[in-house]
Amino acid sequence: MASPALCDSPGSPDELSGDPSLQEDEDCNSDDRVSDSGSYTSASSDYDDLEPEWLDSVQKNGELFYLELSEDEEESRLPEIPPTVNHVRFSENEIIIEEDDYKERKKYEPKLKRFTKILKSKRLLPKRYNKKNSNDNGPVSILKHQSNQKTGVIVQQQYKDVTVYVNPKKLTVTKAKEQLKLLEVLVGIIHQTKWSWRRTGKQGNGERLVVHGLLPGGSAMKSGQILIGDVLVAVNDVDVTSENIERVLSCIPGPMQVKLTFENAYAVKKEKTQPRKKKANLNTNDLVKLLWEEEAEDNQQNIHNTPHIIMYLTLQLDSETSKEEQEILYHYPMSEASQKLKSVRGIFLTLCDMLENVTGTQVTSSSLFLNGKQIHVAYLKETEKLLLIGLPAEEVPLPQLRNMIKDIAQTLKFMYGSLDSAFCQVENVPRLDHFFNLFFQRALQPAKLHSSASPSVQQYDAASAVLLDNLPGVRWLPLPQEIKMELDTALSDLEAADFAELSEDYYDMRRLYTILGSSLFYRGYLICSHLPKDDLIEIALYCRYYGLLPLAAKQRIGQLIIWREVFPHHHLQPSSASNTEVFQEPEGRYFLLIVGLRHYMLCVLLEAGGCASKAVGNPGPDCIYVDQIRTTLHQLEGTDSRINERLASSPSPCLSCADWFLAGPREKTDGLATSPILSRLQGTTKATASPMCRRTLFGDYSLKTRKPSPSQSSGGPDNGCEGGEGTGLSPHPTPDAVLKQRESQGFDGSEESGALLKGTKKKSTLSNPFHLGNSKKDLSEKELEIYNTMKLTSGPENTLFHYVALETVQGIFITPTHEEVAQLGGSVHSQLIKNFHQCCLSIRALFQKALIEEKKKALNGTDDLDSTNSVSSLNPVKEHGVLFECSLENWTDQKKTPPVMAYWVVGRLFLHPKPQELYVCFHDSVTEIAIEMAFKLFFGLTL
Amino acid sequence: MGEEGTGGTVHLLCLAASSGVPLFCRSSRGGAPARQQLPFSVIGSLNGVHMFGQNLEVQLSSARTEDTTVVWKSFHDSITLIVLSSEEGTSELRLERLLQMVFGAMVLLVGLEELTNIRNVERLKKELRASYCLIDSFLGEPELIGDLTQCVDCVIPPEGSLLQEALSGFAEAAGTAFVSLVVSGRVVAATESWWRLGLPEAVLLPWLVGSLPPQAARDYPVYLPHGSPTVPHRLLTLTLLPGLELCLLCGPHPPLSQLDPQLLERWWQPLLDPLRACLTLGPRALPDGFALHADILGLLLLNLERKRCLFTVQALGDKEPAPEQRRRLLRNFYSLVTTTYFPPGRWPARCPAHGATLESQVAQEPGPPEKVEDAGHGAQLPRACYLVLGPGMGWQVVALQLGPRQLLLLLSPQSPTHGLRALATHTLHALTPFL
Repeated sequence: MASPALCDSPGSPDELSGDPSLQEDEDCNSDDRVSDSGSYTSASSDYDDLEPEWLDSVQKNGELFYLELSEDEEESRLPEIPPTVNHVRFSENEIIIEEDDYKERKKYEPKLKRFTKILKSKRLLPKRYNKKNSNDNGPVSILKHQSNQKTGVIVQQQYKDVTVYVNPKKLTVTKAKEQLKLLEVLVGIIHQTKWSWRRTGKQGNGERLVVHGLLPGGSAMKSGQILIGDVLVAVNDVDVTSENIERVLSCIPGPMQVKLTFENAYAVKKEKTQPRKKKANLNTNDLVKLLWEEEAEDNQQNIHNTPHIIMYLTLQLDSETSKEEQEILYHYPMSEASQKLKSVRGIFLTLCDMLENVTGTQVTSSSLFLNGKQIHVAYLKETEKLLLIGLPAEEVPLPQLRNMIKDIAQTLKFMYGSLDSAFCQVENVPRLDHFFNLFFQRALQPAKLHSSASPSVQQYDAASAVLLDNLPGVRWLPLPQEIKMELDTALSDLEAADFAELSEDYYDMRRLYTILGSSLFYRGYLICSHLPKDDLIEIALYCRYYGLLPLAAKQRIGQLIIWREVFPHHHLQPSSASNTEVFQEPEGRYFLLIVGLRHYMLCVLLEAGGCASKAVGNPGPDCIYVDQIRTTLHQLEGTDSRINERLASSPSPCLSCADWFLAGPREKTDGLATSPILSRLQGTTKATASPMCRRTLFGDYSLKTRKPSPSQSSGGPDNGCEGGEGTGLSPHPTPDAVLKQRESQGFDGSEESGALLKGTKKKSTLSNPFHLGNSKKDLSEKELEIYNTMKLTSGPENTLFHYVALETVQGIFITPTHEEVAQLGGSVHSQLIKNFHQCCLSIRALFQKALIEEKKKALNGTDDLDSTNSVSSLNPVKEHGVLFECSLENWTDQKKTPPVMAYWVVGRLFLHPKPQELYVCFHDSVTEIAIEMAFKLFFGLTL
Repeated sequence: MGEEGTGGTVHLLCLAASSGVPLFCRSSRGGAPARQQLPFSVIGSLNGVHMFGQNLEVQLSSARTEDTTVVWKSFHDSITLIVLSSEEGTSELRLERLLQMVFGAMVLLVGLEELTNIRNVERLKKELRASYCLIDSFLGEPELIGDLTQCVDCVIPPEGSLLQEALSGFAEAAGTAFVSLVVSGRVVAATESWWRLGLPEAVLLPWLVGSLPPQAARDYPVYLPHGSPTVPHRLLTLTLLPGLELCLLCGPHPPLSQLDPQLLERWWQPLLDPLRACLTLGPRALPDGFALHADILGLLLLNLERKRCLFTVQALGDKEPAPEQRRRLLRNFYSLVTTTYFPPGRWPARCPAHGATLESQVAQEPGPPEKVEDAGHGAQLPRACYLVLGPGMGWQVVALQLGPRQLLLLLSPQSPTHGLRALATHTLHALTPFL
């Protein structure tokens, strides 16, 4: 199977043609096939009657989650997929997928794709028809693996008999959501009717009983012979289908051995499929595996043993229907460790009710000890329903958990309208299971999130997740004006929805959707957004919880299309006043369309109703809109190199690595030599010729600022030398001496270095707005100017280690990019980053209290309360700083005490005009003036 | 319940774990004891959820609403203490330590035997009444901070060595090693053996003396929660000057009558002037001659190794905020710092020689260690932190840890933020000889 077949990029259609294996693949959609001339672009597809490849995946309710990996990614993942049967344990729900099965299916998808590209320019809304077609076939649940749909493959059926022990006495499971309860409870086989909607004609009535999963500890699993994908054909030689299985099983009178006959449908196919190479389309289930890669199984096991739970409970008990566990509307997972938490739900319910009565305020959290492990449980009560999330304190500190539950609720409301509609509808259960599986993986094992990434990036992600994941903002990458303009134009063009002959206007029809706004992500960074803050944050939350952002960052997505109805809080909240002057939100419906291509991801919020036509039923994604968005992304393809450049050398404040301040002379040299920046430095400056490593370090700063301008390299050596000279002011022969001197100076002395550092600070913050305002190309003059100012005031050392700036007007935050952090490296530094984020979390917890207080004050109108009320508590915190000290861990020199480096983590909250938060981490030697300056300049820094 | 008024409400419930019978309930509102009580149904459910969890091997430890914190703790499987506090800025650390102190106070006055082996609930209730006074002093807004820091509140006398000598001599003459000089609940001077008393009695005894109504002399039976929880000792107090008391801890000997005025006169008459000087020392804690920086509004110095602390908000008494507020600010800041940055245990107390063999775990229940929000700081440890309050107040607090010492300062708004650490370091160095 040729790999090019996978490349869905329209840029390489020629490769797609002439695949010899084409013919052997039969597919149910073959009607739609049209011969491939190999020259379409998705922007203007010339073929009528071509279906987009994702159309099959559209669900009954119109939702779509379609993900295709890029070619590179496919290839790199290839060796990880063993050719033999591969069971992927997906979740506690025991959805276990046999890889062969879908590999097989995937095999022809890419080829199919090249035929199935609809988008006929002549026919309007063709997708409606097509969609109906697919609906006629029955609903395709993309959440569930369709295991049983190979029609074109000849299968030699094999049968096997398995004897299992069955005891109907221990019927304990109560949930009635699954129809085939007995099969699950007695035998331990999970079969979900929804999954196998394509019926093979074998049984006249009733579906074939495909084993979709095995219940842990169930007889079936214990037997070890029953595999996922097997088809149960007989029980004690009685033929069974989904129709009669319950009846047959209910006839078992007591504990006994039962003979089950299975059709081993894959035995033969396996051999045939071994040479298969690729899969292109991925189920959502595989998303888990994709993100966690091969460690998934281990992780699952670890997570399995960690007590964690999400529950949705009702406080209203209906005594009429006395079902068991009727107060539980939803809970996940089913693992044993979590069972304990489930069993004490009475505590949560009682606390929620009683404490609210006693104190007049709602319960927010409680802590308990389970097997000596502290577990925090966060509460969220809404209209007599209670959402609970419990996680171990070790993994998730309480402030983070509180933020998490808020985010979860917000995301679920965004996706389903309300918590009730999310949890109370049976068909949502598997989706929520999947959602929370991702959620808990992320919460409990952030480090394993993407093992494909380099370790430093991975560490950075894991360390920062604790804070960044719950900031009310999106990670933003400041770009030069030029690029920004380009992006803005592209998005505006799209938002204008002027699709020429493709548009509804052309046919005098009412628009299907109004595009409310769009936002563009690149490698998980927001680079351009035309969405109001609230929408942006909700969309970003959605992407975060589905792991889309890291996906776009690390894996090149071949194609990603997500379509779903959403309920943006901002648009749906009832207008407060009946003031007619105020803009009234139309009573419309809202749809989110996300299209990903390579590293790009474009999220578009669509409105139906209002000025567009009303949406009826559950419309699926509209091909025209999808294609227009894709076109936009294609237009931007040329920009990535420039954005990448910016990612690697962001104009934001330059960073320093903590290890440089600590390392002994020897190690430092080594470290510097291996550092990519510094090796480059050696190439360009003479300063490195000096054995004084400290000096090279100093040179590094100036070099880094120059880096985006290679044309200036002629001036390089000079700069480097000057950087070196800066240190000459206080001559120190070895870095050790520098350290000692700094220590002896303490923090009140060292005016000289203070002034220098101040300059550093000033410069670095200044450079950002400058870069924003100027395209990089006309660097020469202005950059020189900046360089001069830097030289005048700046110190030899850059002492800023890390920073996070949160800006709530736009809903964005800025923080060093992965590339920048990766460049710095260093073990102490990575520890510092971890420390920084954890410290920021506790600082932020204080800020959040202050914000709540502020809100209260605003509600009360006057602030006469505070004089008596808040004096006693440390409440409106404006600034909070913590000083950390670290030393080298493996210090071998017994005689000398190890060098110690001290650094501050300082957070500051600005309440006016709009809440903003800034967290910085810098070396102890920085003077306060410099910090003050940094805080002030932060205002100029954003957007 | 906590909507109006200052400070919010604190309810302390004590129940017999096995029967669920409430032994006592104490409440305070805005720092003063209040009669208002929780309805019995609430008491029942609060106890019920905890018991229910325990039956399923789940220990419920705390719960929080937007303005209230509840902490449960059970001692020796026989006494359950529950505290519900809506005081502003209350923290779990404070409440947990409060419960430890309360239980310590109960043992101090009733003895562990009575509490672990409840035969007659009604009699126990009556006996516990004796501890109300002490317990109420924890619930209110104490001038001391030993309940929170678990360190003995001290003052620095101007002529310490003289007092120390007199104390040792007197101890020898009186025939007991455990003697201390206490002014309004703070220890001025004490013998070596007294300092070696374990927690919580080291904190509780001066506290008890401070909370009792003034009397010329007392002979008070006490159990030492750590050192001798089942065998009572005698606490003898002799008032040297109004507010200044001499405390002796001893066995059956000597009888109070033996400590006749002559003995007192012999040892203490010559020291009348230094003793008078101690009287005024009370809340200021530092000798007059010691000059603190003018920006310092409040100070808390802890020596975690020796388990002593120095707490004063009287440095500059006339400016805003009022002393009570300063105290609350520092208490809250201490809770924050201890919870988040300087978790206890990094400077483990040397095991007091006196009680070394009696690891009776009265104060340290086998329960989980105190909550530390973040144990993952690894090799990079916090050394200092500061906090600047928002507009309208602008007070600043700074904490510094150096060796076994911690210093927390409350500073006026005009003090420059960048000088905080310098000021704290300077002050700490200046105070180091004292503690």
